[in-house]
This record gives sequence, structure tokens and C-alpha cells, in this order.
Amino acid sequence: MFNENLKWYFPASIPKAVQLIEQPGIILHGGGTRILKTQSRSIIGLVDICNLKLDYIKQKNNLYHVGAAVTFGKVVKFSKENNCLSMLGTALSEAASTPVRNRITIGGSIKDFPLWSNLIAPLIALDAKVEINNGSSKIIPIEEYITSGMIKTKHLVKEIIIPEDEKIIWRIKRFTLLKFEYPIFNIAIKFKFNGSLVHDAAFVITGVKNRFKRFNKAENIFMEKNLSEKLIKQAMKFIEPKFVSDYKYSSAYKEKVAKIIFEDLLLDIAGVKQ
Amino acid sequence: MKIKFNINSKIEELEIRPDATLLNVLRDNGFTEVKCGCSEGECGACIVLIDDKTVNSCQVLAMSAASKKIKTVKGIGTLHNPHLLQKIFASTGADQCGFCSPGMVLSAYSLLKENPNPTEKEIAEALDGNLCRCTGYVKIIEAVRRTAQIMNENLISRE
Repeated sequence: MFNENLKWYFPASIPKAVQLIEQPGIILHGGGTRILKTQSRSIIGLVDICNLKLDYIKQKNNLYHVGAAVTFGKVVKFSKENNCLSMLGTALSEAASTPVRNRITIGGSIKDFPLWSNLIAPLIALDAKVEINNGSSKIIPIEEYITSGMIKTKHLVKEIIIPEDEKIIWRIKRFTLLKFEYPIFNIAIKFKFNGSLVHDAAFVITGVKNRFKRFNKAENIFMEKNLSEKLIKQAMKFIEPKFVSDYKYSSAYKEKVAKIIFEDLLLDIAGVKQ
Repeated sequence: MKIKFNINSKIEELEIRPDATLLNVLRDNGFTEVKCGCSEGECGACIVLIDDKTVNSCQVLAMSAASKKIKTVKGIGTLHNPHLLQKIFASTGADQCGFCSPGMVLSAYSLLKENPNPTEKEIAEALDGNLCRCTGYVKIIEAVRRTAQIMNENLISRE
């Protein structure tokens, strides 16, 4: 149940919205799906972001800027129609269902970062940045935003910034036993090649201990080398995702499945899958 | 508090609680064509269009929809003047008990406005947020496909 004195605010500027959320018990409202799930009595005010003009996707200087009020559905549509942001578009198209995707916003999903989110793994793999405002504007790499604790502070997410990159090869996996369940974990893999040599790589998993893990040591094995089965076998030694057991699945089960999926996706990219 | 809503192209001033869902506000004010199923955003029985996009009204706080255009299934066709989708849902037996039909019809309506000639896969994807416990979806998908076909052959408006 919500607090009986719940109040709504519809500010027309970001500074005004930020000023409002500095007060205790007042939070931002985008699509509202998460707020409705929790219905915390400690929430006494909702600041709707609909008048902040954050419902945009823009391309500028090889970067895509996606406003916080953009829904997953809008990203999916934009990705298909403009043949771009394919990794993110595909990941978000697998989240929830069409009417729910028309409601979940990018800003809310970044700020709340639920463990089952389809959004964060591709954003980390794509080296995305997030622009926030907590009185002043800051642009932070998404990894730093999560690990530095900034995610837990009071602020407004204005947009995400994603490098345009047509030349990446990527795979994602949203692992569930039933399609409509929340995923147990999400994996995102990205490779960028310079000729036949790997120039950049990112192996990310979310849903693990500490929310996400990027396997930098495994990524480094491939740098400036040809992608091969032998290198994948070497890299797999450094891909050790750590999970917490829950009432459905043990940590050991999740770790084993995640490792198998990582290896399958890497072999698939290398074109050596049996 | 009294708030103005644009429902089916008509301005309605409704008394609401600040924490009310759009589903409850609509049903409490006579829009009972919007069905209450799971209240969890899973079944699609409560689907309405907000600014032409399908949403689960149980997952929308009504206050956030106050400045938007809301459309229920009665906004696209009525008993005496049904939309082609509604006619074909009935004639193909895609409605069965009828509980999921308002949501199904609105999802199909939204799809056909954006994609006049959808494949079976695209129809199934557009209906991914709608559960039916009667027909097994075959007739529903067929009804959407036939509606698209008739609209395209006869150049009927998708409105």
C-alpha cells in the first residue's frame, strides 16, 4: 500500500525535479512499473518525468543519446527501423511483453537496476555512459556508475550515451527456464576486430554477486590475436561467475550453466561450434 | 481529487485517489470493458492504449495518464458499430469466453496500425502480453491475419 498522503509533482525542468527528489520520501516516476511492484509506504511523493522532454533518441558525433523517459518498446522500434543499436534493441525486445515494454523506461531501469534487467549487461559491453544530474550534470561510464555507489545516491538519470559501432560482433543470452520468467542471468559478449585480429572485447554477466561481473582477464587473452578455439579454452579459465543460491537454483547450478553458455557463445562467434 | 482524463476522445472528470491504478479508475467509472485479470502486468486483460501504445492499465498509476489519450476497446468499436477486428474475432470464434478479447483486440489494433501486413510470427509477438485460456491462440492469430487481409484488399482504414 502506498502512503495515504501521496503527492504528485510534474516539474517542467530538470533542476526543479532534482530539487524535489532531494526531499525525503520523494522519488522519480517514469513508467511506474517498479514503483507499483514495491508500493512502499515510505514514498510520499512522486515526481513524474513526462514534462522534462527526456523522450528522445538522438545520434550525434558517432554516439546515440537515449533519454531517460524512452521506453524499452521505443528503443526496440528505433533499432529495427534504423538498423542500429542492434545489441541493445535485441536485448530489450526479449524483456517482458509488448505492453510492459511500452511502459518500462530506460531511466528507471538504470537507476533501479533490478538483477533480472536485460538492459545493463549490453550497456556495459557497449561501454555506455550515463548522464546524471544531482544539482550538477555528470557523465559517468556505466560500470563506474554501478561500482562507485553513485547508483544508490539521489539523482536524476538524464540519458544514456552509447557509442555507434556497426563493426562489432555480439551475442547476448537471457537465461530463463520459461520464456516469461524473470531471467536468472543475462550475458553480453562483444568483439571488435581490426582485420582478423581482435581489437576490443567485452564479456559481461548480470544477476551475479555484486550485481555484475566483467571478465577483463578473459577479454585480454584475445587482444590483437585471431579468435580461435584454443584461445577460448584459455579464456574460459578466467570466466568464473559467482552467484548466490536462491529458493529455486543453487549457486553451483547457475555457475555451471553460465559457464557453458559463455563457452557456447564464444565458440559460436569463432565459428567453431560443433 | 478530481482529475480530467481523455478517454475514448471524450474529456471525463473523475474522482481518483493519487495511488489508484488506471485499471481501477476506469472500472470504477463504468469502463468495465477493461477487464481485471492478474493485476500483475502478466495477462493483458486490462490492456488499453495510451497515446496509441498498448499498456497494462493495472501497471499504470492513473495520475501519470491524466494528460494522455486513453483508448479502451469501446473506443475503437461498439456493439452496434463494431470495428472490423471485433467482427472477425466474433465470426472466427476467436472470442470464446470473451474475457481476454478486449486486450487481444487492442493489441491487434495497435499492431495493424503500425504494420498492415504482419506475418504470423509478428502477430504472435504483438500478442505476447495477452493470455487466453480458451482458444489456444490459433483462432485469435487467424482472426488478426484475416482482418489484415480484408483491410488490405478493401483498403479499409485501420482507425
